[in-house]
Amino acid sequence: MKIPRKYTKVRDVNITPEELIAFEDKVKDAYENAKVQGPVHLSKNNENELIELFQYIHEEDWVLSAWRNHYHALLHGVDPDKLFNWISEGRSMGTNNTKPNFYASSIVGGIIPLALGVAAGLKRSNSNRRVWCFIGDMTMETGVFHEAYKYSQNMNLPLQFVIEDNNLSVHTPTDTAWGKRMKVPKNVIYYKYKMSYPHHGTGKWVNF
Amino acid sequence: MVLENGLIFKNMKYKEEIIRAMDWLGSKPDTVFTGQAIGCSGHAISTTVANVSQDKRVELPVFEETQLGMATGMAMTGWVPITCYPRFDFFILSLNQLVNHLDKMQDMSKGDMKPKVIIRVAVGSKVPFSAGPQHTQNHTEAMKKMLTEIEVVELMEPEDVFPAYERAYNSDKSFLMVEHSEFYNSK
Repeated sequence: MKIPRKYTKVRDVNITPEELIAFEDKVKDAYENAKVQGPVHLSKNNENELIELFQYIHEEDWVLSAWRNHYHALLHGVDPDKLFNWISEGRSMGTNNTKPNFYASSIVGGIIPLALGVAAGLKRSNSNRRVWCFIGDMTMETGVFHEAYKYSQNMNLPLQFVIEDNNLSVHTPTDTAWGKRMKVPKNVIYYKYKMSYPHHGTGKWVNF
Repeated sequence: MVLENGLIFKNMKYKEEIIRAMDWLGSKPDTVFTGQAIGCSGHAISTTVANVSQDKRVELPVFEETQLGMATGMAMTGWVPITCYPRFDFFILSLNQLVNHLDKMQDMSKGDMKPKVIIRVAVGSKVPFSAGPQHTQNHTEAMKKMLTEIEVVELMEPEDVFPAYERAYNSDKSFLMVEHSEFYNSK
């Protein structure tokens, strides 16, 4: 993963990889014991990349994510207990706050136009803050990414896309479905990782 | 009013009231107007924002869904976007952002996020000539059934127009305002 040179470290991240993994293990246990009232999408194997990256994300920046968002939320400063309670209520896919500025959506590509608008709003307000938009590799292939990426680049908006590539959309391999992968556009932060958990759930059937 | 040559001159209050509402919204420091043919000329709605200062009018490419998501995102940072669609038929391309995001954001943030967007949509005219099935549909009733947080207002009479936009701006929620471009020339 390459961080563009224009960014400098703006905060210390005091969460370790082990703590991130432990949080998801706690969710996993609650889920398998029928204590979570909705689907969960668990993260693993990308702790180091995200811990490095969040050192460049200011605590007042906006972070937009998708259904697999627990790591992003924790690293951006969402209180772990609050996050766990929201997940327990079945709100894992929409853990949204303004303190810190964090929004997640469970619709593929849905956050992209929102990220563009937040960036346009920040620029119009002469703010120094920016937007970090985390999307997957299948989302990068969609039309909405292309138009939003193009617009943000052309208008010099404070919007940074981060592509998290596991080559999957649910169980569909992105390269097989599209026939060929597109080239990662310039000025996009990109990293690959391998999923440990299924798309949703833990791999264990839960009886409520 | 009947002129000397026998022609009847009607005072078109409907469009005048829309222009008055846009002038009023344009005077607010936190508003911004977005859409195709909003920064330049192009359709009936363009003529209603002509008095709004140019720096408040953002000309956008044709990307209807992204347009609405952009408006929502700008509202998340405190702006009040008035985002304009010249035909209901074009607006339905933005339903993902309308139904899945703007309309659900309050619920998905437990009331923490209440982006306020004023959406202007025009139903295309059928008289004196019809623009056809892809330019004249009115989906107002469908929108009312689909939306939970966004209020849908169909503007039928000139006297309804200004109070409706005034209420939309002073409210803390988003509005879908349905105008009839036919009324621009008939009421």
